[in-house]
Amino acid sequence: MTLIGDIVTLVPVGAAQNEGGSFLVSPSLGLMIWTLATFLFTMYVLKKLAFPRIQEALDKRAKLIADSIDAAQQSKKESEELLAEYRARLKEAREQADDIVARARKSADTAKAEATKEGVAKREELLAAARRDIEAETRRSLERIRKEVADLTVLTTEKVVRRSLDSDDQKRLVDEALSEVDFSALAGSEANKN
Amino acid sequence: MSLSALSTKMKVLLVFAGWIAFAIALGLIFGSDGKNEDFQPQNEFKLEPWLGIKIAGIDLSINRAVFYLVLASALTIFVMVWISKRMAEKPNRTQTAIELAYDLTKNNITGGNLDGKIATRWFPFLATLFFFIWFSNMIGYIPLPTNTPESINILGAEIPAFALYAATANISIPLALTLVVWISYHVEGIRAHGVFRYFASWLPSGLEDMNPIGKVAIFMIEVVSHSVRLISLSVRLFANMLAGHLLLLFMGGGLAVLLGIAALGALTFPMAFAFYVFEVGLVATLQAFIFATLTAIYIGGAVAESH
Repeated sequence: MTLIGDIVTLVPVGAAQNEGGSFLVSPSLGLMIWTLATFLFTMYVLKKLAFPRIQEALDKRAKLIADSIDAAQQSKKESEELLAEYRARLKEAREQADDIVARARKSADTAKAEATKEGVAKREELLAAARRDIEAETRRSLERIRKEVADLTVLTTEKVVRRSLDSDDQKRLVDEALSEVDFSALAGSEANKN
Repeated sequence: MSLSALSTKMKVLLVFAGWIAFAIALGLIFGSDGKNEDFQPQNEFKLEPWLGIKIAGIDLSINRAVFYLVLASALTIFVMVWISKRMAEKPNRTQTAIELAYDLTKNNITGGNLDGKIATRWFPFLATLFFFIWFSNMIGYIPLPTNTPESINILGAEIPAFALYAATANISIPLALTLVVWISYHVEGIRAHGVFRYFASWLPSGLEDMNPIGKVAIFMIEVVSHSVRLISLSVRLFANMLAGHLLLLFMGGGLAVLLGIAALGALTFPMAFAFYVFEVGLVATLQAFIFATLTAIYIGGAVAESH
Protein backbone atom coordinates (compact mmCIF):
# COMPACT_ATOMS: atom_id res chain seq x y z
CA MET A 1 0.00 0.00 0.00
CA THR A 2 2.82 2.37 0.87
CA LEU A 3 4.41 1.76 -2.51
CA ILE A 4 1.25 2.77 -4.28
CA GLY A 5 0.93 5.77 -2.02
CA ASP A 6 4.45 6.84 -2.97
CA ILE A 7 3.62 6.63 -6.64
CA VAL A 8 0.48 8.63 -6.13
CA THR A 9 2.24 11.38 -4.20
CA LEU A 10 5.23 11.44 -6.53
CA VAL A 11 3.12 11.83 -9.63
CA PRO A 12 -0.12 13.60 -8.84
CA VAL A 13 -2.96 13.04 -11.23
CA GLY A 14 -2.91 15.49 -14.09
CA ALA A 15 0.50 16.82 -13.10
CA ALA A 16 2.20 15.03 -15.98
CA GLN A 17 1.94 17.19 -19.03
CA ASN A 18 3.40 16.51 -22.42
CA GLU A 19 6.82 15.96 -20.90
CA GLY A 20 7.08 12.20 -20.48
CA GLY A 21 4.68 9.39 -19.81
CA SER A 22 4.76 9.18 -16.01
CA PHE A 23 0.98 9.70 -16.01
CA LEU A 24 0.77 6.16 -17.42
CA VAL A 25 1.77 4.69 -14.06
CA SER A 26 0.02 7.14 -11.78
CA PRO A 27 -3.24 5.69 -10.54
CA SER A 28 -6.29 7.90 -10.41
CA LEU A 29 -8.57 7.39 -7.46
CA GLY A 30 -11.62 8.44 -9.45
CA LEU A 31 -10.94 5.85 -12.13
CA MET A 32 -10.38 3.20 -9.48
CA ILE A 33 -13.78 4.01 -7.99
CA TRP A 34 -15.31 3.78 -11.45
CA THR A 35 -13.59 0.41 -11.91
CA LEU A 36 -14.93 -0.89 -8.61
CA ALA A 37 -18.43 0.32 -9.41
CA THR A 38 -18.58 -1.22 -12.88
CA PHE A 39 -16.88 -4.45 -11.78
CA LEU A 40 -19.11 -4.97 -8.76
CA PHE A 41 -22.21 -4.16 -10.79
CA THR A 42 -21.14 -6.62 -13.48
CA MET A 43 -20.46 -9.29 -10.87
CA TYR A 44 -23.83 -8.70 -9.21
CA VAL A 45 -25.74 -9.01 -12.50
CA LEU A 46 -23.80 -12.06 -13.69
CA LYS A 47 -24.21 -13.76 -10.32
CA LYS A 48 -27.93 -13.08 -10.29
CA LEU A 49 -28.84 -13.60 -13.93
CA ALA A 50 -26.17 -15.33 -15.97
CA PHE A 51 -24.18 -17.90 -13.99
CA PRO A 52 -27.07 -19.79 -12.36
CA ARG A 53 -28.86 -20.16 -15.69
CA ILE A 54 -25.75 -21.34 -17.50
CA GLN A 55 -24.96 -23.79 -14.70
CA GLU A 56 -28.52 -25.06 -14.71
CA ALA A 57 -28.48 -25.58 -18.46
CA LEU A 58 -25.11 -27.33 -18.30
CA ASP A 59 -26.27 -29.57 -15.45
CA LYS A 60 -29.43 -30.35 -17.38
CA ARG A 61 -27.46 -31.28 -20.43
CA ALA A 62 -25.00 -33.37 -18.42
CA LYS A 63 -27.96 -35.22 -16.92
CA LEU A 64 -29.53 -35.64 -20.35
CA ILE A 65 -26.31 -37.07 -21.72
CA ALA A 66 -25.94 -39.40 -18.75
CA ASP A 67 -29.56 -40.52 -19.14
CA SER A 68 -29.11 -41.02 -22.86
CA ILE A 69 -26.01 -43.12 -22.29
CA ASP A 70 -27.86 -45.18 -19.68
CA ALA A 71 -30.82 -45.62 -21.99
CA ALA A 72 -28.56 -46.57 -24.87
CA GLN A 73 -26.74 -49.09 -22.71
CA GLN A 74 -30.05 -50.46 -21.50
CA SER A 75 -31.41 -50.89 -25.01
CA LYS A 76 -28.13 -52.39 -26.15
CA LYS A 77 -28.34 -54.90 -23.32
CA GLU A 78 -31.94 -55.64 -24.16
CA SER A 79 -31.24 -56.11 -27.83
CA GLU A 80 -28.31 -58.35 -27.02
CA GLU A 81 -30.55 -60.44 -24.82
CA LEU A 82 -33.15 -60.52 -27.55
CA LEU A 83 -30.55 -61.57 -30.07
CA ALA A 84 -29.27 -64.31 -27.79
CA GLU A 85 -32.82 -65.52 -27.25
CA TYR A 86 -33.53 -65.42 -30.96
CA ARG A 87 -30.33 -67.35 -31.66
CA ALA A 88 -31.26 -69.94 -29.06
CA ARG A 89 -34.72 -70.25 -30.56
CA LEU A 90 -33.31 -70.56 -34.04
CA LYS A 91 -30.94 -73.27 -32.85
CA GLU A 92 -33.80 -75.06 -31.17
CA ALA A 93 -35.96 -74.80 -34.28
CA ARG A 94 -33.15 -76.11 -36.42
CA GLU A 95 -32.64 -79.02 -34.06
CA GLN A 96 -36.35 -79.72 -34.11
CA ALA A 97 -36.42 -79.62 -37.89
CA ASP A 98 -33.48 -81.98 -38.07
CA ASP A 99 -35.22 -84.24 -35.60
CA ILE A 100 -38.44 -84.20 -37.63
CA VAL A 101 -36.62 -84.98 -40.84
CA ALA A 102 -34.73 -87.81 -39.18
CA ARG A 103 -37.89 -89.18 -37.70
CA ALA A 104 -39.74 -88.93 -41.02
CA ARG A 105 -36.90 -90.70 -42.74
CA LYS A 106 -36.93 -93.39 -40.11
CA SER A 107 -40.68 -93.91 -40.30
CA ALA A 108 -40.52 -93.98 -44.08
CA ASP A 109 -37.90 -96.68 -43.87
CA THR A 110 -40.00 -98.61 -41.39
CA ALA A 111 -43.09 -98.28 -43.57
CA LYS A 112 -41.15 -99.50 -46.57
CA ALA A 113 -39.77 -102.49 -44.68
CA GLU A 114 -43.21 -103.32 -43.35
CA ALA A 115 -44.79 -103.04 -46.76
CA THR A 116 -42.15 -105.32 -48.22
CA LYS A 117 -42.65 -107.81 -45.45
CA GLU A 118 -46.40 -107.68 -45.87
CA GLY A 119 -46.12 -108.16 -49.61
CA VAL A 120 -43.87 -111.14 -49.13
CA ALA A 121 -46.29 -112.61 -46.60
CA LYS A 122 -49.25 -112.05 -48.94
CA ARG A 123 -47.44 -113.69 -51.77
CA GLU A 124 -46.62 -116.68 -49.60
CA GLU A 125 -50.19 -116.82 -48.48
CA LEU A 126 -51.53 -116.73 -52.03
CA LEU A 127 -49.03 -119.31 -53.11
CA ALA A 128 -50.04 -121.58 -50.26
CA ALA A 129 -53.72 -121.12 -51.07
CA ALA A 130 -53.10 -121.96 -54.71
CA ARG A 131 -51.12 -124.99 -53.73
CA ARG A 132 -53.94 -126.09 -51.45
CA ASP A 133 -56.52 -125.63 -54.18
CA ILE A 134 -54.42 -127.64 -56.55
CA GLU A 135 -54.02 -130.42 -54.04
CA ALA A 136 -57.74 -130.51 -53.28
CA GLU A 137 -58.58 -130.50 -56.97
CA THR A 138 -56.13 -133.32 -57.54
CA ARG A 139 -57.59 -135.30 -54.72
CA ARG A 140 -61.10 -134.79 -56.03
CA SER A 141 -60.08 -135.86 -59.51
CA LEU A 142 -58.42 -138.95 -58.19
CA GLU A 143 -61.56 -139.79 -56.23
CA ARG A 144 -63.62 -139.34 -59.32
CA ILE A 145 -61.25 -141.48 -61.35
CA ARG A 146 -61.24 -144.04 -58.67
CA LYS A 147 -65.03 -144.12 -58.67
CA GLU A 148 -65.11 -144.30 -62.45
CA VAL A 149 -62.61 -147.14 -62.42
CA ALA A 150 -64.68 -148.98 -59.81
CA ASP A 151 -67.87 -148.56 -61.77
CA LEU A 152 -66.16 -149.70 -64.94
CA THR A 153 -64.68 -152.58 -63.09
CA VAL A 154 -68.05 -153.60 -61.77
CA LEU A 155 -69.59 -153.30 -65.18
CA THR A 156 -66.83 -155.27 -66.80
CA THR A 157 -66.95 -157.92 -64.08
CA GLU A 158 -70.75 -158.27 -64.54
CA LYS A 159 -70.30 -158.69 -68.17
CA VAL A 160 -67.59 -161.26 -67.59
CA VAL A 161 -69.37 -163.31 -64.90
CA ARG A 162 -72.82 -162.56 -66.30
CA ARG A 163 -74.29 -162.04 -63.02
CA SER A 164 -74.69 -159.13 -60.87
CA LEU A 165 -72.92 -159.03 -57.74
CA ASP A 166 -74.71 -158.03 -54.59
CA SER A 167 -73.53 -154.93 -53.20
CA ASP A 168 -71.47 -156.49 -50.41
CA ASP A 169 -69.60 -158.72 -52.77
CA GLN A 170 -69.24 -155.94 -55.20
CA LYS A 171 -67.76 -153.70 -52.67
CA ARG A 172 -65.35 -156.20 -51.35
CA LEU A 173 -64.24 -157.15 -54.78
CA VAL A 174 -63.72 -153.62 -55.92
CA ASP A 175 -61.79 -152.69 -52.89
CA GLU A 176 -59.60 -155.75 -53.30
CA ALA A 177 -59.02 -154.84 -56.91
CA LEU A 178 -58.37 -151.24 -56.31
CA SER A 179 -55.94 -151.84 -53.54
CA GLU A 180 -53.90 -153.72 -56.04
CA VAL A 181 -53.97 -150.92 -58.63
CA ASP A 182 -51.29 -148.23 -58.32
CA PHE A 183 -52.80 -144.85 -58.96
CA SER A 184 -49.74 -142.88 -58.12
CA ALA A 185 -48.60 -142.77 -61.72
CA LEU A 186 -52.01 -141.58 -62.76
CA ALA A 187 -52.01 -138.89 -60.16
CA GLY A 188 -48.65 -137.73 -61.45
CA SER A 189 -49.81 -137.64 -65.09
CA GLU A 190 -53.05 -135.95 -64.05
CA ALA A 191 -51.15 -133.19 -62.23
CA ASN A 192 -48.87 -132.67 -65.20
CA LYS A 193 -51.81 -132.34 -67.52
CA ASN A 194 -53.36 -129.69 -65.41
CA MET B 1 12.87 -19.86 -64.71
CA SER B 2 9.21 -19.87 -63.82
CA LEU B 3 7.97 -18.80 -60.41
CA SER B 4 6.36 -22.15 -59.63
CA ALA B 5 9.75 -23.87 -60.01
CA LEU B 6 11.04 -22.02 -56.95
CA SER B 7 10.89 -23.65 -53.55
CA THR B 8 8.66 -22.15 -50.87
CA LYS B 9 11.73 -20.99 -48.99
CA MET B 10 13.01 -19.09 -52.03
CA LYS B 11 9.62 -17.47 -52.59
CA VAL B 12 9.47 -16.27 -49.00
CA LEU B 13 13.01 -14.92 -49.25
CA LEU B 14 12.19 -13.13 -52.50
CA VAL B 15 9.08 -11.49 -51.05
CA PHE B 16 11.07 -10.48 -47.98
CA ALA B 17 13.91 -9.02 -50.07
CA GLY B 18 11.38 -7.18 -52.25
CA TRP B 19 9.74 -5.72 -49.16
CA ILE B 20 13.08 -4.45 -47.78
CA ALA B 21 14.08 -3.06 -51.20
CA PHE B 22 10.74 -1.26 -51.47
CA ALA B 23 11.26 0.34 -48.05
CA ILE B 24 14.82 1.38 -48.92
CA ALA B 25 13.65 2.86 -52.22
CA LEU B 26 10.95 4.84 -50.42
CA GLY B 27 13.58 5.97 -47.91
CA LEU B 28 15.83 7.21 -50.72
CA ILE B 29 12.96 9.02 -52.47
CA PHE B 30 11.38 10.73 -49.47
CA GLY B 31 14.37 10.97 -47.16
CA SER B 32 14.07 11.99 -43.53
CA ASP B 33 12.08 14.90 -42.15
CA GLY B 34 14.08 14.86 -38.97
CA LYS B 35 12.91 13.78 -35.53
CA ASN B 36 9.32 14.73 -34.79
CA GLU B 37 9.19 16.45 -31.41
CA ASP B 38 5.48 17.20 -31.47
CA PHE B 39 4.28 13.61 -31.56
CA GLN B 40 4.05 12.14 -28.07
CA PRO B 41 3.03 8.47 -28.41
CA GLN B 42 2.18 8.17 -24.72
CA ASN B 43 -0.51 10.81 -25.20
CA GLU B 44 -2.49 8.19 -27.09
CA PHE B 45 -3.19 6.81 -23.61
CA LYS B 46 -3.85 10.14 -21.96
CA LEU B 47 -7.26 10.65 -20.49
CA GLU B 48 -9.07 13.87 -21.36
CA PRO B 49 -12.09 14.47 -19.13
CA TRP B 50 -15.22 14.36 -21.30
CA LEU B 51 -17.49 15.35 -18.48
CA GLY B 52 -15.94 16.82 -15.35
CA ILE B 53 -17.38 15.43 -12.14
CA LYS B 54 -15.87 16.13 -8.76
CA ILE B 55 -17.41 14.64 -5.61
CA ALA B 56 -15.85 15.22 -2.19
CA GLY B 57 -12.58 16.23 -3.73
CA ILE B 58 -12.35 13.07 -5.81
CA ASP B 59 -12.10 13.50 -9.57
CA LEU B 60 -14.83 11.22 -10.93
CA SER B 61 -14.73 12.74 -14.42
CA ILE B 62 -16.04 10.62 -17.23
CA ASN B 63 -13.26 10.02 -19.70
CA ARG B 64 -12.20 7.46 -22.25
CA ALA B 65 -11.24 4.86 -19.62
CA VAL B 66 -14.62 5.19 -17.90
CA PHE B 67 -16.30 4.80 -21.30
CA TYR B 68 -14.32 1.60 -21.92
CA LEU B 69 -15.13 0.31 -18.44
CA VAL B 70 -18.84 0.89 -18.94
CA LEU B 71 -18.62 -0.62 -22.42
CA ALA B 72 -16.82 -3.70 -21.08
CA SER B 73 -19.35 -4.06 -18.27
CA ALA B 74 -22.31 -3.65 -20.63
CA LEU B 75 -20.86 -6.08 -23.15
CA THR B 76 -20.02 -8.67 -20.47
CA ILE B 77 -23.50 -8.42 -18.99
CA PHE B 78 -25.23 -8.39 -22.37
CA VAL B 79 -23.37 -11.38 -23.81
CA MET B 80 -23.53 -13.49 -20.67
CA VAL B 81 -27.17 -12.78 -19.86
CA TRP B 82 -28.20 -13.11 -23.50
CA ILE B 83 -26.44 -16.46 -23.82
CA SER B 84 -27.73 -17.68 -20.47
CA LYS B 85 -31.32 -16.82 -21.45
CA ARG B 86 -31.19 -18.84 -24.63
CA MET B 87 -29.15 -21.82 -23.50
CA ALA B 88 -30.12 -24.50 -25.98
CA GLU B 89 -29.55 -28.20 -25.56
CA LYS B 90 -27.88 -28.23 -28.94
CA PRO B 91 -25.58 -25.19 -28.70
CA ASN B 92 -24.57 -22.99 -31.61
CA ARG B 93 -21.02 -21.70 -31.97
CA THR B 94 -21.38 -18.63 -29.75
CA GLN B 95 -22.97 -20.67 -27.00
CA THR B 96 -20.28 -23.32 -27.33
CA ALA B 97 -17.58 -20.65 -27.00
CA ILE B 98 -19.20 -19.12 -23.92
CA GLU B 99 -19.77 -22.56 -22.43
CA LEU B 100 -16.12 -23.33 -23.01
CA ALA B 101 -15.11 -20.09 -21.27
CA TYR B 102 -17.57 -20.77 -18.45
CA ASP B 103 -16.16 -24.27 -18.07
CA LEU B 104 -12.66 -22.78 -17.98
CA THR B 105 -13.59 -20.44 -15.12
CA LYS B 106 -15.57 -23.14 -13.31
CA ASN B 107 -13.36 -26.18 -13.55
CA ASN B 108 -9.93 -24.84 -14.36
CA ILE B 109 -9.58 -21.47 -12.63
CA THR B 110 -11.89 -22.12 -9.67
CA GLY B 111 -11.99 -25.90 -9.48
CA GLY B 112 -8.28 -26.29 -10.06
CA ASN B 113 -7.29 -24.11 -7.10
CA LEU B 114 -10.19 -24.13 -4.66
CA ASP B 115 -12.52 -26.82 -3.48
CA GLY B 116 -15.86 -27.34 -1.85
CA LYS B 117 -17.59 -24.41 -0.19
CA ILE B 118 -14.74 -21.98 -0.90
CA ALA B 119 -14.99 -22.75 -4.62
CA THR B 120 -18.76 -22.19 -4.62
CA ARG B 121 -18.36 -18.90 -2.71
CA TRP B 122 -15.64 -17.46 -4.93
CA PHE B 123 -16.68 -18.77 -8.33
CA PRO B 124 -18.85 -15.74 -9.28
CA PHE B 125 -16.00 -13.40 -8.33
CA LEU B 126 -13.35 -15.34 -10.26
CA ALA B 127 -15.58 -15.87 -13.30
CA THR B 128 -16.55 -12.19 -13.36
CA LEU B 129 -12.88 -11.22 -13.10
CA PHE B 130 -12.08 -13.41 -16.08
CA PHE B 131 -14.97 -12.29 -18.25
CA PHE B 132 -14.72 -8.59 -17.29
CA ILE B 133 -10.99 -8.44 -17.99
CA TRP B 134 -11.36 -10.54 -21.14
CA PHE B 135 -14.07 -8.29 -22.59
CA SER B 136 -12.08 -5.21 -21.55
CA ASN B 137 -9.00 -6.57 -23.33
CA MET B 138 -10.91 -7.62 -26.43
CA ILE B 139 -12.74 -4.34 -27.01
CA GLY B 140 -9.31 -2.74 -26.69
CA TYR B 141 -8.51 -4.11 -30.15
CA ILE B 142 -11.55 -2.64 -31.86
CA PRO B 143 -10.93 0.85 -33.25
CA LEU B 144 -13.51 3.17 -31.70
CA PRO B 145 -14.00 6.90 -32.22
CA THR B 146 -12.70 7.88 -28.80
CA ASN B 147 -9.59 9.96 -29.53
CA THR B 148 -11.21 13.27 -28.60
CA PRO B 149 -8.18 15.59 -29.05
CA GLU B 150 -8.11 14.66 -32.74
CA SER B 151 -11.14 14.66 -35.02
CA ILE B 152 -11.99 13.36 -38.45
CA ASN B 153 -14.64 14.51 -40.86
CA ILE B 154 -17.14 11.87 -41.90
CA LEU B 155 -19.90 13.14 -44.22
CA GLY B 156 -19.62 16.59 -42.75
CA ALA B 157 -19.77 15.46 -39.13
CA GLU B 158 -16.74 16.03 -36.96
CA ILE B 159 -16.24 12.92 -34.88
CA PRO B 160 -13.31 11.91 -32.69
CA ALA B 161 -10.59 9.99 -34.46
CA PHE B 162 -10.74 6.21 -34.31
CA ALA B 163 -8.25 4.77 -31.87
CA LEU B 164 -7.32 1.61 -30.07
CA TYR B 165 -7.51 1.92 -26.33
CA ALA B 166 -7.97 -0.54 -23.52
CA ALA B 167 -9.21 0.12 -20.02
CA THR B 168 -6.76 -2.52 -18.79
CA ALA B 169 -3.88 -0.54 -20.37
CA ASN B 170 -4.41 2.04 -17.64
CA ILE B 171 -2.84 1.25 -14.25
CA SER B 172 -5.85 2.42 -12.22
CA ILE B 173 -8.14 -0.30 -13.50
CA PRO B 174 -5.93 -3.38 -12.90
CA LEU B 175 -4.86 -1.82 -9.61
CA ALA B 176 -8.45 -1.39 -8.43
CA LEU B 177 -9.21 -5.00 -9.32
CA THR B 178 -5.98 -6.13 -7.64
CA LEU B 179 -6.96 -4.28 -4.46
CA VAL B 180 -10.28 -6.13 -4.41
CA VAL B 181 -8.44 -9.42 -4.89
CA TRP B 182 -5.82 -8.53 -2.26
CA ILE B 183 -8.34 -7.58 0.37
CA SER B 184 -10.58 -10.54 -0.53
CA TYR B 185 -7.98 -13.20 -0.05
CA HIS B 186 -6.83 -11.79 3.29
CA VAL B 187 -10.43 -11.61 4.47
CA GLU B 188 -11.00 -15.20 3.34
CA GLY B 189 -7.80 -16.30 5.09
CA ILE B 190 -8.85 -14.60 8.34
CA ARG B 191 -12.33 -16.09 8.03
CA ALA B 192 -10.84 -19.57 7.56
CA HIS B 193 -8.17 -19.42 10.29
CA GLY B 194 -8.89 -16.46 12.59
CA VAL B 195 -6.68 -13.36 12.69
CA PHE B 196 -3.70 -14.74 14.62
CA ARG B 197 -3.61 -18.17 13.04
CA TYR B 198 -3.93 -16.65 9.57
CA PHE B 199 -0.86 -14.45 10.01
CA ALA B 200 0.95 -17.37 11.66
CA SER B 201 0.16 -19.44 8.60
CA TRP B 202 2.25 -17.05 6.51
CA LEU B 203 5.32 -18.66 8.03
CA PRO B 204 6.41 -21.64 5.99
CA SER B 205 6.21 -25.00 7.74
CA GLY B 206 9.38 -26.47 9.21
CA LEU B 207 10.31 -23.32 11.15
CA GLU B 208 8.89 -24.48 14.50
CA ASP B 209 12.36 -24.74 16.08
CA MET B 210 13.61 -21.39 14.80
CA ASN B 211 14.34 -18.59 17.27
CA PRO B 212 11.81 -15.72 17.41
CA ILE B 213 14.09 -13.20 15.70
CA GLY B 214 14.47 -15.51 12.72
CA LYS B 215 10.74 -16.06 12.65
CA VAL B 216 10.11 -12.31 12.65
CA ALA B 217 12.60 -11.88 9.81
CA ILE B 218 10.90 -14.59 7.74
CA PHE B 219 7.54 -13.05 8.57
CA MET B 220 8.74 -9.69 7.29
CA ILE B 221 9.83 -11.34 4.04
CA GLU B 222 6.34 -12.80 3.74
CA VAL B 223 4.82 -9.37 4.41
CA VAL B 224 6.90 -7.94 1.57
CA SER B 225 5.96 -10.87 -0.63
CA HIS B 226 2.25 -10.28 0.00
CA SER B 227 2.64 -6.53 -0.62
CA VAL B 228 4.48 -7.12 -3.87
CA ARG B 229 1.51 -9.13 -5.11
CA LEU B 230 -0.36 -5.81 -5.29
CA ILE B 231 2.17 -4.57 -7.82
CA SER B 232 2.85 -7.83 -9.66
CA LEU B 233 -0.77 -8.73 -10.26
CA SER B 234 -1.81 -5.28 -11.45
CA VAL B 235 1.34 -4.38 -13.38
CA ARG B 236 1.41 -7.73 -15.21
CA LEU B 237 -1.97 -7.03 -16.76
CA PHE B 238 -1.43 -3.33 -17.26
CA ALA B 239 2.06 -3.64 -18.76
CA ASN B 240 1.08 -6.45 -21.10
CA MET B 241 -1.87 -4.52 -22.47
CA LEU B 242 0.02 -1.22 -22.66
CA ALA B 243 3.01 -2.85 -24.36
CA GLY B 244 0.71 -4.55 -26.86
CA HIS B 245 -1.02 -1.30 -27.71
CA LEU B 246 2.28 0.59 -27.95
CA LEU B 247 3.62 -2.07 -30.30
CA LEU B 248 0.55 -1.76 -32.50
CA LEU B 249 0.86 2.02 -32.38
CA PHE B 250 4.53 2.03 -33.36
CA MET B 251 4.23 -0.67 -36.01
CA GLY B 252 1.08 0.88 -37.41
CA GLY B 253 2.98 4.07 -38.24
CA GLY B 254 3.86 5.65 -34.92
CA LEU B 255 7.55 4.87 -35.31
CA ALA B 256 7.69 6.41 -38.79
CA VAL B 257 6.01 9.58 -37.53
CA LEU B 258 8.19 9.77 -34.42
CA LEU B 259 11.47 9.40 -36.31
CA GLY B 260 10.25 11.41 -39.31
CA ILE B 261 11.25 8.62 -41.71
CA ALA B 262 8.12 7.89 -43.72
CA ALA B 263 9.71 4.90 -45.47
CA LEU B 264 9.99 3.14 -42.13
CA GLY B 265 6.19 2.80 -42.18
CA ALA B 266 6.40 0.47 -45.18
CA LEU B 267 8.72 -1.73 -43.17
CA THR B 268 6.74 -1.77 -39.93
CA PHE B 269 3.15 -1.76 -41.21
CA PRO B 270 2.93 -5.50 -42.13
CA MET B 271 4.32 -6.31 -38.68
CA ALA B 272 1.38 -4.48 -37.11
CA PHE B 273 -0.90 -7.20 -38.49
CA ALA B 274 1.24 -9.95 -37.00
CA PHE B 275 1.26 -8.23 -33.61
CA TYR B 276 -2.48 -7.59 -33.82
CA VAL B 277 -3.17 -11.30 -34.37
CA PHE B 278 -0.78 -12.15 -31.54
CA GLU B 279 -2.44 -9.70 -29.14
CA VAL B 280 -6.03 -10.65 -29.96
CA GLY B 281 -5.37 -14.36 -30.33
CA LEU B 282 -3.20 -14.89 -27.30
CA VAL B 283 -2.36 -12.00 -24.97
CA ALA B 284 -5.90 -10.72 -24.37
CA THR B 285 -7.20 -14.13 -23.26
CA LEU B 286 -4.01 -15.23 -21.56
CA GLN B 287 -3.80 -12.14 -19.34
CA ALA B 288 -7.44 -12.46 -18.28
CA PHE B 289 -6.82 -16.12 -17.50
CA ILE B 290 -3.63 -15.40 -15.55
CA PHE B 291 -5.27 -12.65 -13.49
CA ALA B 292 -8.21 -14.86 -12.50
CA THR B 293 -6.03 -17.93 -11.93
CA LEU B 294 -3.58 -16.05 -9.69
CA THR B 295 -6.52 -14.71 -7.71
CA ALA B 296 -7.77 -18.26 -7.22
CA ILE B 297 -4.27 -19.36 -6.18
CA TYR B 298 -4.02 -16.49 -3.65
CA ILE B 299 -7.39 -17.37 -2.13
CA GLY B 300 -6.44 -21.06 -2.10
CA GLY B 301 -3.16 -20.23 -0.38
CA ALA B 302 -4.90 -18.08 2.22
CA VAL B 303 -7.33 -20.82 3.27
CA ALA B 304 -4.71 -23.59 3.12
CA GLU B 305 -3.33 -24.82 6.43
CA SER B 306 0.19 -23.65 5.76
CA HIS B 307 2.25 -22.44 2.84
